[in-house]
Amino acid sequence: MSSDALQPKDLALAGAWLSGHGLAEARPTPLLAVRLAVRRRARLANQVLLAALFIGAALIRVTFGFRPQHALPLLLLAAMVAALLLAQVLLDQWVRRVDRRAGAALPRRTAHLAQPGWRTLLGTPHAAFMIATSGGAIVLAASALTVQDATVRHSALVLLAGLLGVAAGIALQLRDLLVRPIVAEDETSLTADVIMRVEDARELTVPSVPWTLPVLLLFGFAPVWWDAAAIALVIAGVLVLALISKRTPSSVAVARQVLSVR
Amino acid sequence: MIVIDTASPVPPYEQLRAQLAAQIHDGTLPVGARLPTIRHLAANLGLAVNTVGRAYRELEEAGLIETRGRAGSFVSAAGEEGRERARRAAADYAAVVSSVGIDPHEALRIVEAALRHAAPAES
Repeated sequence: MSSDALQPKDLALAGAWLSGHGLAEARPTPLLAVRLAVRRRARLANQVLLAALFIGAALIRVTFGFRPQHALPLLLLAAMVAALLLAQVLLDQWVRRVDRRAGAALPRRTAHLAQPGWRTLLGTPHAAFMIATSGGAIVLAASALTVQDATVRHSALVLLAGLLGVAAGIALQLRDLLVRPIVAEDETSLTADVIMRVEDARELTVPSVPWTLPVLLLFGFAPVWWDAAAIALVIAGVLVLALISKRTPSSVAVARQVLSVR
Repeated sequence: MIVIDTASPVPPYEQLRAQLAAQIHDGTLPVGARLPTIRHLAANLGLAVNTVGRAYRELEEAGLIETRGRAGSFVSAAGEEGRERARRAAADYAAVVSSVGIDPHEALRIVEAALRHAAPAES
């Protein structure tokens, strides 16, 4: 996580990012390249961590079977979930640290006077989706507590703690996004700053953990109705997210609106 | 948009004050517009809180902004009133120029001379 130095390909990727966001006339600067690179690496690390959680959970199930008699498998799963949450917090801090350093090194700083709130940055549809998916996963976990099987109830407790931890983490990250200082040196980087902020906020609403954790911890142990509900939650979530992504204004449109206010 | 250049010989507080004053004068920041908090703007521009505080204080002393306790700082109506007074004075002057038959170009030169004379007193 310490390799946040600029690499030659980062500038080329920043140029491609600008073109992809309708800013093809702008020159990719080291500031933009560094900020985009750290986000790309953090995103990749996050995906690797989720994959590691999948593989780890599968290995635990293969090793101990589907009906473990000991507490060890559950403890291992709980430790893996805690490690994932901790790693996600550290990744977020890494991105913020790189942004802060990049900003401090600028001889020229630019800022807009508008202070976009959560409605502008995240948008009501994304916010409602995030609340609905997190709430749905929490209700699903709580419903598993009513099952007679002790293994299912213990797994449900781990799931509930994990989901509440994720929800609290997302709330804190969103709050931080709203007050995080602008890092810009000119109009283009100011636009890019808002675009990144919008995309960071929207990325937070993708419920990768609320979708995967119930399946990882309880699928196969729980009653059939619970398994069906878990799968339905994922399918409905994917469809709604696709619809929201198609209907809501692009991050570029949001950035232009923010910068046109004043 | 506010730009602060640390390499400029103009102190950062003056760069900020001048840009905010210009935006208030040209209407980019309309009367009643809420300004960011001192702490927030300082973080965004990489400046010390005192630097932004000094710029806000000078704008307040000039009557361009007003601080309403915890609600924050807002663009005051005083700047707009001043602009309206100037418009009225210009209309009066134009009427005098027209009544005494002074050539419009000469009338403008008189105004320019008066502005040059008034400028050192303002700064």
